[in-house]
Amino acid sequence: MARDIKISIRNLYKVFGTDPLGAMEHVKAGMGKAELLEKYNHVLGLQDINVDIREGEITVIMGLSGSGKSTLIRHLNRLIEPTSGEIEVDGENVLAFNETRLRQLRRERMSMVFQKFALLPHKTVLENAGMALAVRGFTIKDFETEANKWLNRVGLEGNANQYPHQLSGGMQQRVGIARALASNSPIMLMDEAFSALDPLIRSDMQDLLLELQDELQKTVVFITHDLDEALKLADNLVILKDGYIVQQGEPQNILLNPNDPYIINFISDINRARVLRVRSVMTRTSEPPTDCAGDISERDNLESVIALSGGDTEHTYRVMKKGAQVGVLDMKELIRALVPTEAHTDSERGQL
Amino acid sequence: MATYDVLFSALGLEKWCASSESSAPMSMQDLLTKNRGGDAEPESLWDAPFPSMDALNEACGAFPQSRELTKGLEQGFLSIKDSLSIVLDPITQPLSWLLDGTLYGMLNTPWWIVIPLLLLVVFAVTRSWKLVGFVAICLVLLAFIDYYEYAMQTLSIIFVCAFLCVLIGVPIGIAMSRSDMLQRLTIPVLDMLQTLPPFVYLIPLIFLFSVTESKLYGIAIILYAIVPVIRLTNLGIRLVDKDVIEAADAFGMTSRQKLYRVQIPLALPNIMAGVNQTIMMSLAMVVIASLVSAPGLGVLVLRGIRNLELGVGLVAGLGIVILAVVLDRVTKASLARINASQKQ
Repeated sequence: MARDIKISIRNLYKVFGTDPLGAMEHVKAGMGKAELLEKYNHVLGLQDINVDIREGEITVIMGLSGSGKSTLIRHLNRLIEPTSGEIEVDGENVLAFNETRLRQLRRERMSMVFQKFALLPHKTVLENAGMALAVRGFTIKDFETEANKWLNRVGLEGNANQYPHQLSGGMQQRVGIARALASNSPIMLMDEAFSALDPLIRSDMQDLLLELQDELQKTVVFITHDLDEALKLADNLVILKDGYIVQQGEPQNILLNPNDPYIINFISDINRARVLRVRSVMTRTSEPPTDCAGDISERDNLESVIALSGGDTEHTYRVMKKGAQVGVLDMKELIRALVPTEAHTDSERGQL
Repeated sequence: MATYDVLFSALGLEKWCASSESSAPMSMQDLLTKNRGGDAEPESLWDAPFPSMDALNEACGAFPQSRELTKGLEQGFLSIKDSLSIVLDPITQPLSWLLDGTLYGMLNTPWWIVIPLLLLVVFAVTRSWKLVGFVAICLVLLAFIDYYEYAMQTLSIIFVCAFLCVLIGVPIGIAMSRSDMLQRLTIPVLDMLQTLPPFVYLIPLIFLFSVTESKLYGIAIILYAIVPVIRLTNLGIRLVDKDVIEAADAFGMTSRQKLYRVQIPLALPNIMAGVNQTIMMSLAMVVIASLVSAPGLGVLVLRGIRNLELGVGLVAGLGIVILAVVLDRVTKASLARINASQKQ
């Protein structure tokens, strides 16, 4: 799973206010967010962000409103300039880019999907989908096939000549995704892309994104405030709070080993059976279990295993990966994993 | 003996006061007092006048009277007038040609070409047969009572002036929307243009240009009517959805692409509302401008007032109302068409 690092963020700080650089001195000297606001009336938006975003993965940045997640994603294509820190894309320092190179980066290497869709209301769906190409100077004739291809891919056959206001929210966001895909950029930034949609459509769109991701292997940076969404999509999860990173890593790992009361609080009321996967709770061994009740895949979630066992806690399953055994899962272990973690020193967790 | 003698003697300025008598002409009031003979009785504190320029002048002859202020302003203006005309005359000359040319063209083309042409324009901008019918009835009615020529004169002036207002106003509005500094500087000027009674800025214009030139009223109309189109262009561009602008940035649009592909199209409903206001205000001004030789229905209104020809004045007034309704309906209908095509 060790893929190349596509985007690397190092020691990123953002201070909002009239004299950010001056306030930055105080932050470097160790002043906190609340004190900075009170004494100098500057808002510390992001502090000491270090994230590696790997190629072909979905990195989800999660946090509540005001945690700085939208600010963070806008640093990647420099819609917002950082106060201090480094951002590298493919090993190049984005902050050193001049206007022309920055524009080229935005046109060819990064595309963005917005919470409020941000389509051009006076252009047709087709023209919107081809916006990135139109910006590069192509005429509608040039990009028609390409834009249509992506519109069809996101399920908008036959809507090409309508205007955005004639479509529902979910369909508008599909146009937004088609627009980002048609730009053919390797990186896709998604700023709360599904937050404005109703739950059912949101789930559809998440499935669409995962399906597209299987096929296209883009580097996706996805912002959300919804933990369920984050856990469903993330290969790598970054949790932000008040502008700093509380924890980052593989979502399963965060779920089983939360390192902060804030996260414990957060994960206490999600459906663990659906989110946790067999590989995260199994015992790693290549020895076959004594009384095997059947084979399960390491990627199955616990819910499906419970359904398979019919609720019987006496069973033990053999966990398979690509036809070979990688571990054993005792139903009792599974049930224990469903209890939300209360604290770091939880004795149950020591056995996992 | 005047009230404020004490002030000047306290300041030791008696010598300066005595040295020169005011050169301002004597006012009627002064003359009357002089003729009646003798100064008025020394007043009590109760009757003390406000220490205005005139009151101080009474105590000290060297102090200027207030009317010297207006006189000075007038002389100042007259002294720069010639050099100002040298600059302004050639710049504004095309306006005269444009106005004269349009008037000539409209009046010398036969009515059976002009009326259908106007109706065609109405259809082109509104796509509504109902409105075309309405405009046709209005024009035929005006022509039937022999007001065709006056109405066409008024219309030509409005077309030229409104066109120039848009041509000048939209770029100014765009510039204002891009710079807060420029906005802060421009808004007081716009406020002044909008609130200054239109008669007032006719006065310096009369001094600058000859009353027989058509650019005189052209400039007056443009100055008066350009304000809304500037304001609403500025406002419209500033009101463009921030998210869409951000998307434009995120996809790497240059600022020129952003202006032409996003900002202007999205601000168009507001800009068109400004154009509508501008047209209505030029119509209002073209009537007043008849005082400075603008042809059209305003001349008839003026005749009605001057010669107390009640009928002529009223019918011409109604004709203006009809033109106003026609212009308003047509611009509003085209505005509605733009709005419909870009609902959010």
